[in-house]
Amino acid sequence: MTQLSPVKIGVVWERLNGLMDQVAETCVRTSFSSVVRENYDFAIGLLDQRGRQIAQSRRSVPSFIGTMSRTLAAMLEKFPVDTLQDGDVLITNDGWLGTGHLNDITMIKPLFRDGHHLGFVGSIFHTVDIGGAPSPNARDCYEEGLNIPVAKILLAGEENVLLVDILNANLREPEETLGDIRSQFSAYHACQERLFRLLSEEALEDLEAFSDDVLDRSEASLRRAIDAIPDGSYSDVLTADGFDHPLDIHCRVTVSGSDITVDFDGTAAQIEHPVNSPMTFTQAYSCYAIKCALDPGTPINDGAFRPITVTAPEGTLVNPRRPAPVWGRHLSGHYMPPAIYGALSQIAPDKIIADCGSPLWNVYFKGRRDGEERPFVKMFFMNGGHGARPTQDGPGCLSFPSNVSNQAIEQFENQTPMLVEEKALVPDTGGAGRFRGGNAQRLTFRNIGAAPITVTIRHERVDNPPRGLLGGGKGAGGLDIVNGARIAAKSQTRLEEGDRVTFQTPGGGGMGAPSERDPAAIRRDIESGLVTASQAKQDYGYDA
Amino acid sequence: MSTQDTGFRIGVDIGGTFTDVVMLDPATGRLANEKVLTTPHDPAEGVLNGVQRILDSEGTAPRDVRSIIHGTTLVANALIERKGVKTALVTTEGFRDVLEIGRELRYSIYDLFIDMPEPLVPRVRRFEVAERMRNDGTVLQAPDPDAVRALAGTLRKCGVEAVAIVFLHSFRNDANERAVKAILAEELPDITICTSFEVMPQIGEYERSSTAVANAFVQPIFRNYVMRLVQELGRLDLPQDLYLMLADGGTVRHDTAVEYPIRLVQSGPAGGAQAASVFGRLALEDNLLCFDMGGTTAKACLIQDGEPLRTDAFEVARVFRFAKGSGLPLQVPVIDMIEIGAGGGSIAQVDKLGLVQVGPESASSKPGPACYGLGGAQPTVTDADLVLGYLDAASFLGGDMALDRAAAEDAIREALAEPLGLSVTEAAWGIYETVNESMAQAATIHALESGRKVQDFTVLAIGGAGPVHATNLARRMGVRRVICPLGAGVASAFGFLASPISFEFVRAAIEPLAGLDLARIDTMVAELEAEGLALVTSAGIAEADATTAVSVLMRYSGQGYQVDVDVPRDLLSSGGTEDIAALFEARYRALFGRTEAMAAEIMSWRVVVSGPKPVLEPQAALREGTAKIGLRPVYFGEAGDYVDTPVYDRYCVPPDTPIEGPAVFEERESTIIVPPRARATADRSGNLIIDLDG
Repeated sequence: MTQLSPVKIGVVWERLNGLMDQVAETCVRTSFSSVVRENYDFAIGLLDQRGRQIAQSRRSVPSFIGTMSRTLAAMLEKFPVDTLQDGDVLITNDGWLGTGHLNDITMIKPLFRDGHHLGFVGSIFHTVDIGGAPSPNARDCYEEGLNIPVAKILLAGEENVLLVDILNANLREPEETLGDIRSQFSAYHACQERLFRLLSEEALEDLEAFSDDVLDRSEASLRRAIDAIPDGSYSDVLTADGFDHPLDIHCRVTVSGSDITVDFDGTAAQIEHPVNSPMTFTQAYSCYAIKCALDPGTPINDGAFRPITVTAPEGTLVNPRRPAPVWGRHLSGHYMPPAIYGALSQIAPDKIIADCGSPLWNVYFKGRRDGEERPFVKMFFMNGGHGARPTQDGPGCLSFPSNVSNQAIEQFENQTPMLVEEKALVPDTGGAGRFRGGNAQRLTFRNIGAAPITVTIRHERVDNPPRGLLGGGKGAGGLDIVNGARIAAKSQTRLEEGDRVTFQTPGGGGMGAPSERDPAAIRRDIESGLVTASQAKQDYGYDA
Repeated sequence: MSTQDTGFRIGVDIGGTFTDVVMLDPATGRLANEKVLTTPHDPAEGVLNGVQRILDSEGTAPRDVRSIIHGTTLVANALIERKGVKTALVTTEGFRDVLEIGRELRYSIYDLFIDMPEPLVPRVRRFEVAERMRNDGTVLQAPDPDAVRALAGTLRKCGVEAVAIVFLHSFRNDANERAVKAILAEELPDITICTSFEVMPQIGEYERSSTAVANAFVQPIFRNYVMRLVQELGRLDLPQDLYLMLADGGTVRHDTAVEYPIRLVQSGPAGGAQAASVFGRLALEDNLLCFDMGGTTAKACLIQDGEPLRTDAFEVARVFRFAKGSGLPLQVPVIDMIEIGAGGGSIAQVDKLGLVQVGPESASSKPGPACYGLGGAQPTVTDADLVLGYLDAASFLGGDMALDRAAAEDAIREALAEPLGLSVTEAAWGIYETVNESMAQAATIHALESGRKVQDFTVLAIGGAGPVHATNLARRMGVRRVICPLGAGVASAFGFLASPISFEFVRAAIEPLAGLDLARIDTMVAELEAEGLALVTSAGIAEADATTAVSVLMRYSGQGYQVDVDVPRDLLSSGGTEDIAALFEARYRALFGRTEAMAAEIMSWRVVVSGPKPVLEPQAALREGTAKIGLRPVYFGEAGDYVDTPVYDRYCVPPDTPIEGPAVFEERESTIIVPPRARATADRSGNLIIDLDG
């Protein structure tokens, strides 16, 4: 095929990205998974004949970055492409092959046009229930639910009866998960039709010349950004709270010309609690961190990650061996960006942010509404303060590195027999600095129903608060309190009628020396009450 | 209806640069228009100037004017520029930071440097009251009157001019908000007080707070403006029955409008959408994609069965490049119109990937495109349009403004053609294709988000650059027909005249459909209907002429998005829940192509009480003369080259005579491009209808 003009490339790329977004929008609107709808825990992607990802829907959480082509490679090992036929759809939710835990299902469909294999369309979506008994006490991944090995869920358009039976028998709410699976089939069909129309209109026989070009362009864009920072090796260590003992995460970032390597050698060994982050998740959040810092503006495809190599010894927290429990993989995975930014702060201080009040905080409430048989399980998200930036304070309560919104209190109270007594910013929780970290929030819930409610938490940054960078102070650590007394950050508690539980998320780290903070900004903080006068005196020597 | 058909009607739209005034004589259909400069220091001055001028030039006596309908960007501007009054917020104890915390979501996922919008009320002016309502409407704690009186003292000391009261679950039971308002109103008689249950009784404390606060923030300013305008109109012997255009396309009398100024946000563009539905009706098309492309923005709005689609969520004052989530959310009924691009002034450049990128930066009107010769050196969409022959250097704006083609070519050569190794023409075509493709994507996704397929609509192009891009845009979306109406330049003001008097109410009532007590809903709707009728009849509409439309937002239990289902009014008294289920399933199937074997639930009810829709039949401003006025080379991608293309004077094209593309039609404010394999036909109302692939 002759070389394509940059105008043609640009238009086809816009169309393909738009096509992904259109299909994603349809899937999200008809989805039964609240996590898909509210948090866009979902992605759809297009891969070429060689299995390289060309385009991905633009609004999805970072956990799915770059995973689809690796999952496809594993699928093709079992089902080589020449054994596939039109109408087949491959499936797996294996944490090591997919996105790191069983709750994300990856499905990929080979596309055939006029009998020729053209490429693949695939999607990843979060399913709330995957069977099993995921809990903070899970000792291995078998407890965490049903593992669907690489299999064909559709065989030439017909459902795999055995597999559907197994899903029906093992899931608590199979109609929801199967409903979501089936809606993907029609999405692939719609995607295929529109893709074929696009190819005829643009007079393209296949995707290969186009993908060669855009993958190269994306690669070149990141290479230019890496080239602009000095060569060398820079490292950082941060400490996660862990379960029984703290866990160190070691990170070494090496820049060599236009290549960048992130190595987690030295990181703590995997543990028998569900905080291990399979390599695929570690890679996704590492690539995400680098992309945000160095080349945020370009679309996602496999080329955009060619200059990045992520390595970690097997058997560690960030590259565990089976059968490590991985349900709460984000409790380690969300530490990748701050570890990488700690290292990069030594050479690219203008491109990174201080530690945020994450890994993401959430809580499961399980109980029964008065007069109802069926128990409810409700998950509630709450974000900590955002880390300070090189030129701005960190916003209060903003999600990073994940991107998960809160839920309206009025909605939550409709769904649970609980009364929320406060949702408030907490003074003096953002780290001091030339730019201040974002404030944390405090939420208090009271059980106002007759039945007890079980509260399950697994919170980080309680013993080891978010760090400041470049001289900035640390944010306040998080707090978990039941009826006025501290409880462990990874624990299960029963709330009887009238009992209260309070969560205070961690505050963001500061950036730059506090002595360099603009006195006008300190005055504003005191006036708004986000910083108290006594804390300002202590951190900045400021007399109100 | 007879009283409605006499007397001149005036529509006034205050825009950024110009205030447009149109006057319709319903007896003859004659439509006059005037443009005067907007007077930002006192917008009423421009309005009065414009009205006076149109009366003078038409020789119309003020007493022959029946009504004046007004739309304004005053409310949106006050929010964008944050020039409202000093406002306080009173919330449930423990929740004063809800307004600042927002949704905790990053609107741009790879950008580490995003700013979140500052709340309109800073933390020091957010106060709490010990009170609590349960989710089912049970009062857990009533506010203590003495504490509220003490709070009134604090508010007085702060020197605030407006107060918003937002308590949890007030949309279900407004007793506590009402009680606090009563005390504050008594203690602070000169201060504006807005309760959230009155502004918009919807679930979601953050969005409801944001809406109530925005309403309080602009209300005193807006009230002063409207009162002054009414007074001045009286001085000119004009009717003091001023009407205001709402963002949802309805109009209300000024005394209602001043209570809910937030419902006027976006009222100008709403007029444009109303005008589009009138133009569409004249062309016998009811399903339209209104495509409005001007110098600084391009907008899209869907019109189905002659009615613009509406939504109840809107964001104003976005802090980052129109990004969803970067603005202040408002829960108000609005015509669902989205920004799909940055208009003719959008700047084209080579991006980091070595590809053509158009926008989001814009050259606006100053310095403007390179071809304006006002100092702009970067190539814009307008420059590409000129190089491709779509615009004529000599006849732009009817010849009032000569364009510099050489400057356009230079800018494109330097910024795009040379770096990319393309000819100037190829680069110009690249700009045109790129901007059209990205607008097509945005419009297609907007249609999907509204649960529609864009291919089911006809494109109706307005705005200066709309007709230049509409046919190419339509082809990219798979749309087969484009309508270019006459008088697109004053569409908004014209649209005001087409809007009925109407008022909308929304009541949240989350419950399963099974076992729904329809009699209770019937009673609730009847109450809202009575309230609406009172508002509508106070505007001089006979009760018999008013209509009530009822719709319900529904979904399958477990889903998060709802669909709107129209419910015939009499079904509430005579039908059953199974009828509502059938309507819901039909609607769901139409949107998503399937239904689920699951239980459905109700989210909220909407009741709209309207007067009759004014019937407008404007005269086409056509004239005698030769239609074909010359030939010029115009580039068409379909031909891969410049083609000598016939140029027509749009005002002289005879009706019902098909003209094959390629062709160009010149009009004062724009140029209509008809590509090869397309055919254009003027209809009797002056619309030019272009059939693609015809």
